[in-house]
Amino acid sequence: MTAIFINGQPVETGEHTTVLQAALANGFYIPHFCWHPALSIVGNCRVCVVEQEGRGVGIACNMPISDGMRVLTDSDPVRAQRKAMLQFILLNHPVDCGICDKAGECALQDYHYEYNGEPAISGDPKLPSTKFFPLSERILLDNERCILCSRCVRFTREISKSNVLGLEHRGDSMLVRPAEGRTLDDDPYSDNVVDICPVGALLSRSFLYQSRVWYLEPTPSVCPGCARGCTVQLWHRKAEWRVKGLDERHNTRIHRVTPLENPRVNGPWICNKGRDLPELLDRPRATQALQKGETVSLMQAIEAARGLLDQAGKRVALVSSWGSNEELRAFRNSLGDYFTSFVKPDHLPLEGEVVEDDLLIRADKNPNTRAGQDLLGAGVVQIPEDTDLILVWGEGTDFGTLPRGAKILFLGSWLLPENGHADVFIPISIQTERRGHYTNFEGVVSAFEPCQPRRDGVIDAETLFPLLSAPGGSASGGGAA
Amino acid sequence: MKKVIDRRRKYWNEPTLGWWERFYLFEVLRGFSITGGVFLRNMKRWITGGKGALTAYYPEETRADYAAHNRGKHVLTQRPDGRPQCIACNLCATVCPARVIEIEAGFDPDDPAHPKYPKRFEIDYSRCIFCGFCVEVCPEDAIRMVRQVPGLPVPDRDHGMWLGREELLTWQPARDPAKPYPPKEGPK
Repeated sequence: MTAIFINGQPVETGEHTTVLQAALANGFYIPHFCWHPALSIVGNCRVCVVEQEGRGVGIACNMPISDGMRVLTDSDPVRAQRKAMLQFILLNHPVDCGICDKAGECALQDYHYEYNGEPAISGDPKLPSTKFFPLSERILLDNERCILCSRCVRFTREISKSNVLGLEHRGDSMLVRPAEGRTLDDDPYSDNVVDICPVGALLSRSFLYQSRVWYLEPTPSVCPGCARGCTVQLWHRKAEWRVKGLDERHNTRIHRVTPLENPRVNGPWICNKGRDLPELLDRPRATQALQKGETVSLMQAIEAARGLLDQAGKRVALVSSWGSNEELRAFRNSLGDYFTSFVKPDHLPLEGEVVEDDLLIRADKNPNTRAGQDLLGAGVVQIPEDTDLILVWGEGTDFGTLPRGAKILFLGSWLLPENGHADVFIPISIQTERRGHYTNFEGVVSAFEPCQPRRDGVIDAETLFPLLSAPGGSASGGGAA
Repeated sequence: MKKVIDRRRKYWNEPTLGWWERFYLFEVLRGFSITGGVFLRNMKRWITGGKGALTAYYPEETRADYAAHNRGKHVLTQRPDGRPQCIACNLCATVCPARVIEIEAGFDPDDPAHPKYPKRFEIDYSRCIFCGFCVEVCPEDAIRMVRQVPGLPVPDRDHGMWLGREELLTWQPARDPAKPYPPKEGPK
């Protein structure tokens, strides 16, 4: 354990090896563009300058700690150099914050107000460069805004290991470009470069000009895309900025998904599938309870389901691996005694999707298989031919493969053709409409919060299961465990 | 004796009627002739398209007697090619104390100098307080307020007080020495 002095105050550096890390960990903020905690040190932006007493200024991100060293983060030479550095970085930056999606969460914007705050000294015209260079189907690059910190380049080299991006040319004609014949489409983690870009140079096509960031707020959630269960933030419009004249959907829509840093699960990254979560959740919803294809009220459907439960002799449940821990427990407590239960995969890997890799993506494309199997056993789905009633919870089951004589009670959230083929269909809520927890394949439990209003006509599965087994029907014998 | 109190209020211009007025008939005819004369004069001017009819045809016609500093309606300025000068930066919507401005931005990859444009631009006049912050904050001189009132009478009550992009872009500028229009090209 080494002790150094930052601005005259003694600081325990712990396991940190550079002045920047030690300062940030102890509440001394030092501005930085190119340094990122998960990436290697390049020291090319030069704004993290600090003064080592008696030894002049140097960059903190690459300044190794030595015992008893005395560092000043806000002395006059430091301020002067930082200011000059920001002037230099802004030399060819277009300062088009008005139409930049990063504005409001941009490091360059913040540092300019905090540490520079002056108009450009240079009278030279700014150099034009490529606007909207397509790096992939998902990402555009604005070379005028790029400050060449090389975070994106290092990300593809060190984290995603796709080695797609590189820097070409020298000086003020230097550009971030994909390697010859390649695009960022090859990289299943490419959207992370949009997050780590300290300025608005890398733009996500799906979020481009959708909303200013100060109209949005994040809700912590868990990505249901695979068994990793990455913690994410779902960005949706703030209540005080509700739109009234424009399309109402702007108010409830999820505008973008960003990682919620979680060292036990995903670190600071998520994959592109997680970014596409809004598309998955924007599919048409089922909000109408059905009985053999006829519309019935929710209570009638629940009554009918209890009737089915009473009459059936042999019952099998295909339990959703998208149910939260709470729902799975409610199922086991209320209905576990009635059914032979199997946890089924709701989603299988799609064609062309990365099935598994050694960074984040897991082969099981469902968030909560582990919790389901812990509660209900990990048996392989086996439905005897003489089954009377099959409870199908969640999507992904082909009714054609089920025994012909069996009645089907279907709990689903999406508008699917199967809904009408079930004997009873009850619409249930989706992840963004309720709170709950998922247990990932390593057993780490993560919580998600609701960020959309629950649709009319749907019911939480957690509420539904006790209703199905409630006393009143003759199936009440076994009762809750 | 019972005191009779006249509770009628006395006005400063209480009419004092002579016998001619009290006779009623001739004064009524005089009144008819004044009303009818104005009616016929307006009618003639309107039919012949002449100026100076006393009736303003609201909302097609702007009243002539608005105050010089009246700022009753927002307009969006246009580029020489007729597209809005607005870049959909949402600064007006953000600064608006009544939060009445709502903008939906679009992306135009064919115009790299102006890639962001307003697909929809809505102002709710039922809540606008006419403070002019939107004009003050606009970095592009894209929104201004002019000496007019919006044409609000519409058949649809639910959305009648909203003015959209098409309406705001109908401004045909006359002459404004303080703010020349179209604005001069800045240094590239």
